[in-house]
Amino acid sequence: MNTLDIALPQMAVLYGLCFLPWLLLWLIGLRLSRDILISILRMSLQLALVGFYLKTLFSLNDPRLNALWILVMLTVADVSILQRAGLKLRFFVLPTFIAIAFSTLFATFYLVVLVIQPPHFYDARYIVPLAGMILGNCLQGNVIALERFYSSLRKNEQEYMTFLLLGATRWEAVRPYYRVAIKAAISPGIASMSTMGLVSLPGMMTGQILGGSEPWLAVKYQIAIMICIFTSTTLACIINLKLSMRNAFNAYDVLKDEVIEAR
Amino acid sequence: MPAIIRFDQATVAVRDKTILSNFSFTLHTGEKAVLCGKSGSGKSTVLKTLLGLQTLTSGKVYFQEKPLDYSTIQAIRSHTAYIGQEPVLGADTVRDALLLPFQYKAHRDHKPTDTQIMSILEQLHLPADILNQESSRISGGEKQRLALARGLLLGKNLYLLDEVTSALDPESKQAVFEVFANPELTVLSVAHDPDWITRCDIALELEEGHLTQETRHEHA
Repeated sequence: MNTLDIALPQMAVLYGLCFLPWLLLWLIGLRLSRDILISILRMSLQLALVGFYLKTLFSLNDPRLNALWILVMLTVADVSILQRAGLKLRFFVLPTFIAIAFSTLFATFYLVVLVIQPPHFYDARYIVPLAGMILGNCLQGNVIALERFYSSLRKNEQEYMTFLLLGATRWEAVRPYYRVAIKAAISPGIASMSTMGLVSLPGMMTGQILGGSEPWLAVKYQIAIMICIFTSTTLACIINLKLSMRNAFNAYDVLKDEVIEAR
Repeated sequence: MPAIIRFDQATVAVRDKTILSNFSFTLHTGEKAVLCGKSGSGKSTVLKTLLGLQTLTSGKVYFQEKPLDYSTIQAIRSHTAYIGQEPVLGADTVRDALLLPFQYKAHRDHKPTDTQIMSILEQLHLPADILNQESSRISGGEKQRLALARGLLLGKNLYLLDEVTSALDPESKQAVFEVFANPELTVLSVAHDPDWITRCDIALELEEGHLTQETRHEHA
């Protein structure tokens, strides 16, 4: 079964749907026309570019090009994580890159090589979208983990120093904040898995069903991606926080003032 | 008596502002010293520098005649109990707070017995049933004495005290004085309390980061 195409006139009809929320927002006095217009234009342009890139990647299916694309995604994700967590790039760019690269590639290749087993493990049709989905979710988790960890350390600086003065090593002293940060980062994923299919139909599964896949096949892929997302997010957060601590403290285990962006 | 702490022309500046200037002072084992002066005179900076919370701009600080570096800071932290005006207990109940340091590798094998805990509580005029109370319900004065109890349970011999008697009633204050009458304990403190100042062997007057006067009290 092939997916029905959406022709350009129908795309215009689709954009017309935005008129309804715009009108309602305008009527209740929210002047968001500019923001809405920019968002819709950006979304359309970005996705059109991704569509173009993916089409090229799929048709060339060159492992070097695939690797380069994944490297670009990892770099963008790295910078985005640190900006959103409010941390200075120069202290954390490398640890975050190592953590997300290792965990994303580990989960992606585990899924592709051991589970899906396509003719070529570097097949762009599998590796690029799967790595993208895993990385996108990993990004959310790492923002929460880093932000929560460093903000609670800063907020509870006196408590942290008390732990050090009571004989705790740096690792022993940060452990309470580390655990809270990791839990906050992975909890949305755990909650999402436990309600999956009950509250909403997951995006990837819906996409596959619309793309003509059998529901059972779509379900298996959805389970696979959820397990990989959970694994990579947990791994990335644990590794990222551990590695980031090497640059975040001074020689006497005091959190450096300059690691957090002034807001 | 050997010198336990020695400041030699220590200067600390934060964002181009000098908060401690050419501070020199030697504290020997068993001595009790108090830093006095107005707010912002650099008293707390002296304590923070020793704990590695403030870095030296110039000069030297020695602990047991070793200059301040990572291992000396670790040694200071393992020998020292720092008790501020509102100490952090760091656990939900008082019992857990007192036993908190014994979860750490450094003290895991030296967990105190109930008898030892009770004896120290009694020494500090704290009731036995305080152990089961929630830390959040404890008063400032009780927190200070519990922080002191924790230092005593850990066998610390150097005490850095920041206004430790500020929240105490006369009876509790007397109990604290009696604890520090022990000649084996060395104290470097910050205080405004005249009773505390007269009980110390050395009083150091600080003004805008400078040591302006050092007075030694003779005690019988």
